[in-house]
Amino acid sequence: MRHFDTVVIGAGNAGLTAATALQRGGSKTLLLERHNIPGGCATSFVRGDFEFEVALHQLSGLGTKDKPFVMRQLFDKLGVMDKVGFVQEHDLYRLVVPGELDVTLPASLSGIKSLLQGMFPAESEAIERFLLVCEKISMEGFMTLPKARRANSEELLKATCPYHVQYGFRSAREVLDEFFSDSKLKNVLATYWLYLGVPPRMLPFPDLAVMLYAYAVFKPWHIKGGSQAMSTALVESFLEAGGEVRFNCGVEKILTDSGQVCGVRLEGGEQVTCDAVVSNASPLITFNELLDQERPPLAIQQDFKSRRMGTSAFVIYLGLDCTPQELGVTAASSFIYETLDEEQIHDRMGTLQPPLGGMLTCYNYEEPGAAPAGKSQVMLVCLQYGDVWKSVAPKDYARTKYEFAEKLIGLIERVYPKVRQYIEEVEVATPLTMMRYLNAPGGAIYGFQQSAQDSALLRERLDGVPGLYMAGSWTSMGGFQPTYMAGESTARAVLKQLKVKEVEHV
Amino acid sequence: MSEHNALNLIAGYSQALAGKHELERSGSDFYEVRGEVGSMVVQLHPKRLSLEVAEIIEETPTTKTLRLVAADRSALPPFQAGQYINLFVEIDGVKTARPYAISSSPTQCFFYDLTVKRARGGFVSGHLLDRVEVGQRLQSSGPMGTFHHNPLFHGDDLVFLAGGSGSAPARSLLLDILDRELPRRFHLIYVNSHVDDVIFAEKFRALASRHSNFRLAELITRPPEGYSGRSGRLTRELLQQELGELDGKMFYICGPTPFNDSCVELLTALGVPRRRIRVEANGAPKAPDQQRGWPVGVALDDEVQITVRGRGSFRSKVGEPLLNALERHGYFAENACRSGECSLCRVKLVSGSVFNPQEAHLRKSDRDFNWIYSCVAFPLGDIEIQL
Ligand SMILES: Cc1cc2nc3c(=O)[nH]c(=O)nc-3n(C[C@H](O)[C@H](O)[C@H](O)COP(=O)(O)OP(=O)(O)OC[C@H]3O[C@@H](n4cnc5c(N)ncnc54)[C@H](O)[C@@H]3O)c2cc1C
Ligand code: FES
Repeated sequence: MRHFDTVVIGAGNAGLTAATALQRGGSKTLLLERHNIPGGCATSFVRGDFEFEVALHQLSGLGTKDKPFVMRQLFDKLGVMDKVGFVQEHDLYRLVVPGELDVTLPASLSGIKSLLQGMFPAESEAIERFLLVCEKISMEGFMTLPKARRANSEELLKATCPYHVQYGFRSAREVLDEFFSDSKLKNVLATYWLYLGVPPRMLPFPDLAVMLYAYAVFKPWHIKGGSQAMSTALVESFLEAGGEVRFNCGVEKILTDSGQVCGVRLEGGEQVTCDAVVSNASPLITFNELLDQERPPLAIQQDFKSRRMGTSAFVIYLGLDCTPQELGVTAASSFIYETLDEEQIHDRMGTLQPPLGGMLTCYNYEEPGAAPAGKSQVMLVCLQYGDVWKSVAPKDYARTKYEFAEKLIGLIERVYPKVRQYIEEVEVATPLTMMRYLNAPGGAIYGFQQSAQDSALLRERLDGVPGLYMAGSWTSMGGFQPTYMAGESTARAVLKQLKVKEVEHV
Repeated sequence: MSEHNALNLIAGYSQALAGKHELERSGSDFYEVRGEVGSMVVQLHPKRLSLEVAEIIEETPTTKTLRLVAADRSALPPFQAGQYINLFVEIDGVKTARPYAISSSPTQCFFYDLTVKRARGGFVSGHLLDRVEVGQRLQSSGPMGTFHHNPLFHGDDLVFLAGGSGSAPARSLLLDILDRELPRRFHLIYVNSHVDDVIFAEKFRALASRHSNFRLAELITRPPEGYSGRSGRLTRELLQQELGELDGKMFYICGPTPFNDSCVELLTALGVPRRRIRVEANGAPKAPDQQRGWPVGVALDDEVQITVRGRGSFRSKVGEPLLNALERHGYFAENACRSGECSLCRVKLVSGSVFNPQEAHLRKSDRDFNWIYSCVAFPLGDIEIQL
């Protein structure tokens, strides 16, 4: 039987950074992926002349060359910085409510400030203060909050995290209401909730603040060749460091011996022994299905009980036979909504009724290489919970999918009327598609619902089974930056533990 | 959480914590949905299907239809007319597979018809025609592929150019329209070499006479003496005359590669934009050396050494697609389309170089980091790969 120090289950973002950091950190690592390609969400597929990005809209946390931020360091540490190219986007988003509102926020704090102050002069001073609070909250979150938490010290918290003390667990809705009176202005600033799927009334304010601040200051980025290029580069770096990867190889069981992880059984029956397992699969799958114990430890069952299923997505990938200009695109990302009423939008996400809005991303608007010359790569997304799709009978699946896609395209056509006439390739993904490719309950793309109750500040690591580590969107925030980082930090925890063991054995 | 918790200082913290406890009281540990992802997905996209040959229908001297049912007689996963399954077989100790379009109607879910024509020099088609019997078990992939009607942009005015067994998916598309009484027009331009080898000839003619939205135009390229039907090659004039106004039509092409290429050329010459033409995949190219980028001085017959890292090595020919060569020597790589489209057969090229023909729909990063689609990769010299 083969032995590895660590086995990583799943080659999603967190699995990839965990495996790479582990192998480079000296742990002999086996990376296992059910699919034929690494990435999980961070992948691409080819249709005709087009290579479609599956999930990445805007990579955060990279910063510019002059003002680098954490992701540059992380990618550098993982040996992939020179293996991929990045392209900066110049806007955060365009938000359109046909007939009512059409505004594009630039990717710069001062740009946002002057734009909004021009549009809403009466709230000029509040805008200034709000953006400052976003900055402070973000910086505290990155720098001082983790330390204050570890120290469990009120003094330290008061002294170094005053903005968290004041705003930390209030909802985005409440804070926006406190600052502003114009509802349009509030909607413009809250737009990123449409990315996350958690309505401002449930969304912790810091989550929104960090998104706004970080994208404005560290800029939104695309990856050349799409997120797949990063996934493949991470595998390359992992292999260069001596790691072993297997695709088309699902894990069937995580094996324990007296409660301690001792190996995994693979699809097909082969067993491998190991000292630690990092699972990038959903903890629901990991503990309720993969782990060889009848029931997971109590603490984990308790944790699950306080979670709610997060959102999935309905996505249309379009290869268009026209340029972004012919289509009328003026910013890479646009949110197009009939209404900005958060309750209505959120309710609709749980149904097959026509969506109230969606997002259009045109990848070759800022990165010409993302589509063949003269053509465009476009993605339409609306967030949707997976549940409604479970009751669609298999024989009705295709029809239901196309009918829903019709509705989403119809909505987008109100701003981009030519989108349909230029279609050359189209692929539609539903929450069931996400289930299939991510092995994720509910087809959840960000893991559990990210309400205030989901916050890491209210939770402990799911470490009830010695040797078993979780890394991914379910146990951190969802999204690219958080999952890349979660994998790497999990690797550090594993390396530390393996070192301890090594010392014990000597 | 410990008794003393500094985080209590944070505005909203204690409410959030109370909210979490509330959720905990009313929530579940998700144990009741264990297995749900797997069972949902498998209804639509099983990795493997266990099938049994229920009936064998003789179509023409070269062609039979195998009617396959689920080995346990349950309903099969739904498919979209035009899609294929990949049939896994073992022939004289060699495990391999071939994709076949489903020729039956998607409106019923208890069998898939595969219409198999003898391929010249073929390895698998001969086996399926000569050795497979009723009652035999076969494994396949689930239904796959993108060569199907897409209501989002294809429209209702469809033209299908079929060459030989290319009529298999055409039949499925047609039956789908007729069975569901869809308001679509289907115009089949059906090209065959010999009059005595026209698959579904009678069935198509009968349907065409009964349904005004199905029009059939037959063409025989090698007519016998005294043949009175339409004969000769497919030409621009013929297409123009058959089709009239081209705007708004969607074209499907399925047949041998030279047929497909010439159809695309003809339609393009008639001004049909590429986005209105769908061409079915057709396996690895027979003559990769005729494609752009083929290096000078390398012949299809040249011998090469193929090493599978950590497992062994063997001799092969430049002209044999890597996947076939691997299978012939007892190695397995997952696969489905065997035409460079689905990427399931992706393997890492550790050293040496291969020719990636235009069929290989590689991702940019696959090219950058030397991942190849083994079903359409031709080793240009000695290579090492990782499975
Ligand atoms: C359409 C779409 C749009 C999105 N847009 C954005 C965006 O704009 N910005 C953003 O930040 N985020 C976005 N996301 C979300 C983001 O991609 C995810 O939150 C993030 O990639 C999740 O990473 P992860 O590490 O949790 O792994 P996942 O991507 O969930 O991958 C898990 C991996 O584990 C494998 N696996 C599971 N079980 C097993 C097993 N038993 N054996 C072996 N392998 C197994 C799976 O096959 C998969 O590869 C989007 C997602 C989607 C689908
Ligand atoms: S089997 Fe589909 S690309 Fe090779």
